[in-house]
This record gives sequence, structure tokens and C-alpha cells, in this order.
Amino acid sequence: MWKSIIYKEWLKIRWFLIGFTALGILGVGYLFLTVQHGFTFSGGKNYWYSILFMGYQFFNPIKYAPLAGGLAIAVAQYFPETVNKRIKLTFHLPLGENKVLLMMHAFGAGSLLFSYLLIFGVFAGFSIFYFPVQMITDSIISIVPWFLAGFVAYFLVALVVLEPVWKFRFYYLLVGGFFVTIYLQSPDTAAFGPANTGLFILTATLSIALLFSAYRFRKGEM
Amino acid sequence: MEKISRYFLVFIAILTLAIVLPKLYWMAFEKPIRKPFVLFSCMNNDFMIHRIAEGNRVDTKGNKYTLEEYEQKLPMMFVQQLLVSGLLPDTIKGIGLDMHDISKAKSFFRLKANEIDAPVPDLYPMFESKSGRASLEMPDDFFRITWRIDFIDASTNKVLEDKSQMFSGALFHKGFAFPVKQIAGLPTTRKSCDEGYLILDSKDQLFHVKMIKGKPFVMKVNIPEGLKFTHINCVDFKNKSYYAYLFSEKNEIYILTQDDYQLVKWPIEGYNPKNCDLKIYGDLFNYNVIIEAEDHIKVFALDTEYKIVDTYSESWPVKAERTEGKVFASIFPAQLSMTSDKSKFIRFYLALTIGFSWVFLNLLLLAIHFIFLYRRKVNLKKHIADLCIIAITGIFGFIAIHFFQNKFFE
Repeated sequence: MWKSIIYKEWLKIRWFLIGFTALGILGVGYLFLTVQHGFTFSGGKNYWYSILFMGYQFFNPIKYAPLAGGLAIAVAQYFPETVNKRIKLTFHLPLGENKVLLMMHAFGAGSLLFSYLLIFGVFAGFSIFYFPVQMITDSIISIVPWFLAGFVAYFLVALVVLEPVWKFRFYYLLVGGFFVTIYLQSPDTAAFGPANTGLFILTATLSIALLFSAYRFRKGEM
Repeated sequence: MEKISRYFLVFIAILTLAIVLPKLYWMAFEKPIRKPFVLFSCMNNDFMIHRIAEGNRVDTKGNKYTLEEYEQKLPMMFVQQLLVSGLLPDTIKGIGLDMHDISKAKSFFRLKANEIDAPVPDLYPMFESKSGRASLEMPDDFFRITWRIDFIDASTNKVLEDKSQMFSGALFHKGFAFPVKQIAGLPTTRKSCDEGYLILDSKDQLFHVKMIKGKPFVMKVNIPEGLKFTHINCVDFKNKSYYAYLFSEKNEIYILTQDDYQLVKWPIEGYNPKNCDLKIYGDLFNYNVIIEAEDHIKVFALDTEYKIVDTYSESWPVKAERTEGKVFASIFPAQLSMTSDKSKFIRFYLALTIGFSWVFLNLLLLAIHFIFLYRRKVNLKKHIADLCIIAITGIFGFIAIHFFQNKFFE
């Protein structure tokens, strides 16, 4: 039964996941092509200097990529469930309703995490060629909130899509839309350092958010 | 689990609203506080105050000045204009005015609170201090200090072992305790000359480090016992009187004199780097040390021996004491922000509202929610947590509770 549910989720998200991961890796590849170009034309010392002292953030082009990935996977996974209220079929399975939902959610979030780790790994791998560990650490401190924003988007879209009442969907979107901007500020490199732990905890608390709207869905809230 | 997820969502909503609503309020109603521009006049030995908001220029006795008169009272500040107007005096206080001397003595330094509490780079360029060239050149490598000093070539990203060992050895030899607390310098080629870096090591010892003809120059600066510096800002002034401003943990301001490495304490009080901005204007006759806080300004006029000549202070109502601040305090129990004008770090900056005028709105919202529940004929005992949330968080909790409704018990 569990395998079948996971397979169903895989069928829904596979092309979105593969497509996003491929685009993400290509995006990081492009990013380091620009770094290579900068090194060739400006020289390594000037390129480093612009990062260290002039606020240049070479990683900035990928800012919204994790967010887009989270949105895409969430829509791919949960939107089909709301067409003709198909998710009701899942709730009729001889399994705990919350357990099934959390399994679906864990699979989606796990897939997203796998995709992010691949993209992140490629980013870190290329970085080692061009930058010392201190500069890479500062870059990672800056991009971690963007990846967390991807998870936030995934969790919140699940919440919104499963909500049965349009008025409340709007309310959730309003709160979620403003909330995700916390992760997408544009400060100096490494400025997110003191906030990242808190942001991680907040993201984790949202991981079970869909249980709330799914409950309202099950109870036929109008 | 559904109930827990709801409370998490309510918490997220409160947090979001505590950021967004106060921000929108201040965007709509905040009025700028225009701080006066105050400088000591070497002409009448009094402070000249330019109130930008009112558009007037006065001294401390209340005498009003036109723009031209004001500029003549501050000849070192408006020297270019006075030259154009032909109004620059030949002598002041018996000292003949020479453009070269004026230019050499003129200096400006500014330090904002958010420049101190900010991310700092981990790598710096070590310039050649005596290259024999007219202008400075950016080196090919950058240094970092961990358990030793490493020089890393930027084009290859490889550690330059020989240079690293040579500098590390020189630092060890002088008693340097790795790693470092602060590396202060002017990492730019746009300066008159290179004086390297002032480095605070892990034992709060102060070192001057630079590179001369490819070799390390390391000088340990004698610091009085018990004196600890928390922040250092190097300067590049034409008169070459001192290397840097140094700020102690007791919020004292020191300078480190050039070549003889003497620490001179300036008689400045009331400067707190955490919430004040500092400006220092230097000229042929005085140093104006201006401390700007949210609710006051303090100006110390020093002579060229760094002795106090005169002081000026002025205060004004802070945002919270003004009408818009009082209205804010009656609506919002707190404000949360991810950014601060006192820091460049992203944090959860929570500012609780001073006073308790927000309690009335909280109680009103509590009553409204109570009536709402009563009309729905729900079991009130099962909504106690929601009522408590509204009582404490007020408008934020009220909106959050109504966005994420508690219908589990019906």
C-alpha cells in the first residue's frame, strides 16, 4: 500500500522534479560560466575583490530558483488531488488519514530536498575551484535561506491548494506571501548568519501545515 | 496533529503580521526627524546650528545668520565657497591661511552603528607599502588569518606556502596569538599610501602589520593594562597624525599616533557604538566630534591638542513620544523586524511597545472574539488558548486566529 502511494506521488511529480533539477544544475553551471568569464576578463584578484569588498554576489542569479522549484513540485503534487476532489479517494484507504498525508508530504519534501542537495552539491563543487573556504561559507550562509524559502513555498502551496474555502485560500496566500519574503531579503553577504537557525525552525514548523487545511477539507468545511 | 499544525500556523501568521503591519503603519505615518547640523566656529568660538527642517542658521545665543554669514563663521567647512566669493580671511586667530595647510588639516570620518555590527570579509589584500610606484597596485593574493596567516593566490585559489610561512613566522616571533578578533585596514588602492593593517589578536593584543619590499613588518603596540578594543577604524588623512580611531569596550575613543604608536584617549563621553552614529570633522583649528543618537545630538569641539574647547547637546522627542508613535503604541503591542538600522545582520529584532496603551485594544479585540464565539454557541473552554493569544498579541493574534479558524471542536 505504501509503495503504491509513493509510486502515485512519483508519477505526479517526476517530470517536474527531473525538469527542475536539470534546470537547477544547468543554472548553477551557467552561474560558474559567468564566474569563469569574470576570472578571465577581470582577473581572479579583481573578481575576489568585488565579492569581498564591493558587495558583488555572484550567486545572486539563483535566488528565486529554489522558490520556483518548491512551487512547481507542490502544484504538481497537490493540484491534481483537488481536481474532482480526488484526494477523498486517498482518505478512504484503510490507513490513517494524517499518516497518508504525511507520507505524501514527506515524499514530496524528500524529493525536493534531494533535488536541492544535488543543485547545492554542484554549487559547492564548482565553488571549491574558484574560492577559498571562507568565501564559500559566506556564500552558503547567504543562499541557505533561499533553499528554505523553497521548502516554505512547498509547504504553503500544499496548505492553500487543499483548503476548501476560497476566502481562506486568499488569507493563507496573504500570510504565506508576506512570510516567504523574510527569506528573500537582499542583505550583505553572510548577513543571514544569526537568522538561519530561526528560519530553519520556522520552516520545520510549517512542514505539517497541510494537516490543517486537509482536516478542513475532510470535514467538508464550506 | 491538526490542532498543533493550526497553532504553528497561527504563530507564523502572528510573526508575519508583527513584521508587516507595523511596517505599513510607519510607511504611511512616519515623519522624518531632521537632526540639526552643528559645528564649532573658529571665528566666534561658538557652535553654529543649521536647522535644516526650519531652514534657519543660528548660534547657541539665538542669533540668526544668513547663508553667507553662516559660511563666513565656518570658513574651514566652506573654504571653497569663500574663495569663490573672495571672503576667505587672510588670518584666523593670528594664523595665516594657506590653502595647502587647510587641505592638509582637513579630515572627515563617519562611523554608523550598522558598520560595526556587520559581516566582515575573511580575506584581505596585503599591499606592498614601499613599491616605489606612484600608485598602489592590487596584489594577486589575499590573506586570511586562522591558526596562522595564509596568503592565497586569487587566480589559482592555492595557498602561497613560502609567503604564508614567512609572515606567520614574523607574527609568531612578535608574540601574536592566533586567531584574530579584528583586522582593520583600508583594503583599497584609492588611498594616499599603504599602512597595512591593525590587527587585534585573540588575546586583545594590537599589532601593526604591513608588507615592505615583500617582507613582513610587524609592530606590537603597547596597550595599557586592562584596555580592550572592540572596534578599530583605520584612516588615511593628509596630515598623517594618526593611523586609526580605536573604540574601547568602555566606549572610549582613542587614536593611534603615526610612527610613534602612542595611544591617545580623546575626552569624549556618551558615545555608544551600538546605537549612535559618529562623525568627526577635523580642520586647522578644531576637531568636531558629533555623536548622533535617536533622540539627541552631542558635539564636542576639541582643539588640535585634543582638549575640549566647548560642548553642545540637544535632544528631541523620539518616535514613540510623538503623536504617530503614541497612536502606534495604542494599536500594536510589539514590532518585529528582520532588519535594523543599527546592524547589517538579518535577525529577529523584536521591539516591545513601551507602555501599556495597547492593552485597551487587546481587551476590545478579546471582547469581540468572545462575543463572536458566544454567538456561535461554542464551548468556550475549548477556545481559552485562542483568547489568551489575542489577550497577549492583540491585533496580530486576532487576525491570525480569524485567518486560521479553530473549528476542531464543533
